[in-house]
Amino acid sequence: MMTLKIALRNIFRHKARSVITLSTIVFGCVALIFIGGYFQDIFWKMREGFIESLSGHIQIYRRGFNEHGRIEAYRYLIDNYQEIKELVSDFPEVEYVSARLQFQGLMSTGSNTISFIGQGIEPQNERQATIEETQDLRQFMKSKNLGLPVTVFGTSLVGDDDYQVVLGRGLAETMRAQVDHRVTLLTSTVHGATNALDLNVKGAFRTTQKDFDDISLRLPLQTAQSLLDTQAVQVLVVKLHQTEDTDKVFKSLQVIIRDKKLNLELRRWEDMADFYNKTAELFNMFYLVMRIVIGIVVVLGIFNTMNMSVMERISEIGTIMALGIRRRGVMKLFLFEGLLLGCIGGAIGVLMGIIIVSLVAAIGIVMPPPPGTTFSWLSTPVIVPSIVISTFFLSVFVGGVSALVPAYKASRLEITEALRYR
Amino acid sequence: MSLIQISNVSRTYQLNSISVEALKNVNLTVAAGEFLALAGPSGSGKTTLLNIMGCIDKPTTGEVLFDNIPTASLSNDQLSDLRAEKISFVFQNFNLFPVLTAVENVEYALFLKKMTAAQRRKEAEAALDMMGLLHLAKHKPLEMSGGQQQRVAIARAIVREPLLILADEPTANLDHKTGEEIVDLMREINRQKKTTFIFSTHDQKVIDRADRVVRIWDGEIVSA
Ligand SMILES: Nc1ncnc2c1ncn2[C@@H]1O[C@H](COP(=O)(O)OP(=O)(O)O)[C@@H](O)[C@H]1O
Ligand SMILES: [Mg+2]
Repeated sequence: MMTLKIALRNIFRHKARSVITLSTIVFGCVALIFIGGYFQDIFWKMREGFIESLSGHIQIYRRGFNEHGRIEAYRYLIDNYQEIKELVSDFPEVEYVSARLQFQGLMSTGSNTISFIGQGIEPQNERQATIEETQDLRQFMKSKNLGLPVTVFGTSLVGDDDYQVVLGRGLAETMRAQVDHRVTLLTSTVHGATNALDLNVKGAFRTTQKDFDDISLRLPLQTAQSLLDTQAVQVLVVKLHQTEDTDKVFKSLQVIIRDKKLNLELRRWEDMADFYNKTAELFNMFYLVMRIVIGIVVVLGIFNTMNMSVMERISEIGTIMALGIRRRGVMKLFLFEGLLLGCIGGAIGVLMGIIIVSLVAAIGIVMPPPPGTTFSWLSTPVIVPSIVISTFFLSVFVGGVSALVPAYKASRLEITEALRYR
Repeated sequence: MSLIQISNVSRTYQLNSISVEALKNVNLTVAAGEFLALAGPSGSGKTTLLNIMGCIDKPTTGEVLFDNIPTASLSNDQLSDLRAEKISFVFQNFNLFPVLTAVENVEYALFLKKMTAAQRRKEAEAALDMMGLLHLAKHKPLEMSGGQQQRVAIARAIVREPLLILADEPTANLDHKTGEEIVDLMREINRQKKTTFIFSTHDQKVIDRADRVVRIWDGEIVSA
């Protein structure tokens, strides 16, 4: 109690100096909490966008597809997909299961011909956002919208019209396609015969990935199936209500597949999200470096303060040693002051960090499109409890570390010299 | 019964290549309960001798017995503990902690004693009261006069009830009248509590109040 009182009084002995030292700590804490929260927001949006636009949470394939499917795609189709869909849809965690059939071919408008990648999809599951929806960035950044393909003209696939197609923006531009143009898709069936179909252009879409938009088109699943002359699909995309349930559902599905001896294999979103994983790794590395750099800057700041404090208090140190306080005790007093400084600075810093992050999140920062993508996005940094807690303890730790050398110096003073010192 | 016994003590300071012999073969015995003045001009070795008697410095050669314990054999920590239990200091510059109030300064001397905060406060206030300073208990040192500060310092010294109080030129920073009052206070405590006092000075009025005067000149005791 007495130790605490004395340490506090000594810390605030020089108001200006304490304010500067504390500011250093507070600034460091705010920076770490803010940047950590900013990264977390990016991770989260990348993740949800990737899941919503491309991968779903879990994908179900015919066994062997991921190993051999690239060469012999049509040998690894799922025939009884309706059964499996029903089975998986029964999970309470599952939002929907959507079947996809992907193929390549040539598209012709009569004058122009171009190769494409087509996706047969179930339009009721694979929603497209309208341009109007993207105007309200904050709303659009919610998880159910993030990463949705956006209609740039016309509409998305509508109703149960089989003879319709929507084109990726780049593809539409190259073909100068307009709403209600007719295009001919030419491809080979799963049996190797050539097949063609005339479709009505309903509109164009963009995703976050420009490369994808330059070559892709989407059409109803049953249209793709008749074009390829098959009743099967390539993949079942399982979308969950919450990303956090992925592993749980994944494990249950594995058990079902094993028990029922189904000829299927699974992939989780993170098995596919190579870009996300690499980015997360890079950012985590970067964050660690930031922590170290900020830690060092703060250590130097506190060290300087503690050092000055020891220099000023040499005769006081002599006095307390004469009173019978051991060297170790003197060391403890100064270490305690450093820890306390880290504690106070950390507490204020964490509080300020939380306030600032909340404020920025409430306002949001509009960010330019990341490399290789097409949309601006809204950054709303989040308060990450683990980062808040670790930042506080880092601050206390840094306080203790910075006081080590000054405290040691203080404890090594010769009593008689210290008392003689003016 | 002797409290301190100093035999053939020398103390040499090493300053780069030159060595200064601050004490030369000093022999001195101080009995418990004495009120002793150490008199001598500036640089004669008073502080050096007090430091050795107060167990915050060790002689270069010779032997010191404090309360019948040969101090040369004690470790730093043991010396700290010995001081905490038996010795208090009063300094020329008072050496109060500026961030603490008068009563807190006195309490600080009880820092190492196992007692409750309330008990500590009670004893500190009693010591301040004895110095007639209870009304200044909540004041910081810099709000007090030199004489008041030195009385707080004496309260801090007596609150631990030590065997010995060492005072290195306790009146040097005070005017004559205040200085004499301080020495009278010490004298009073010496009478009441039988605490041994050794103080250094070169002020004749102060010297006159001592029971015994040890004169030191150029590191040697010239009359005891
Ligand atoms: N730490 C020290 N280093 C070198 N010389 C010292 C030191 N302390 C004291 N001296 C010298 O020792 C002698 C005695 O000093 P001191 O005991 O302080 O005398 P006094 O207290 O009587 O003025 C002086 O010549 C002084 O210069
Ligand atoms: Mg002196």
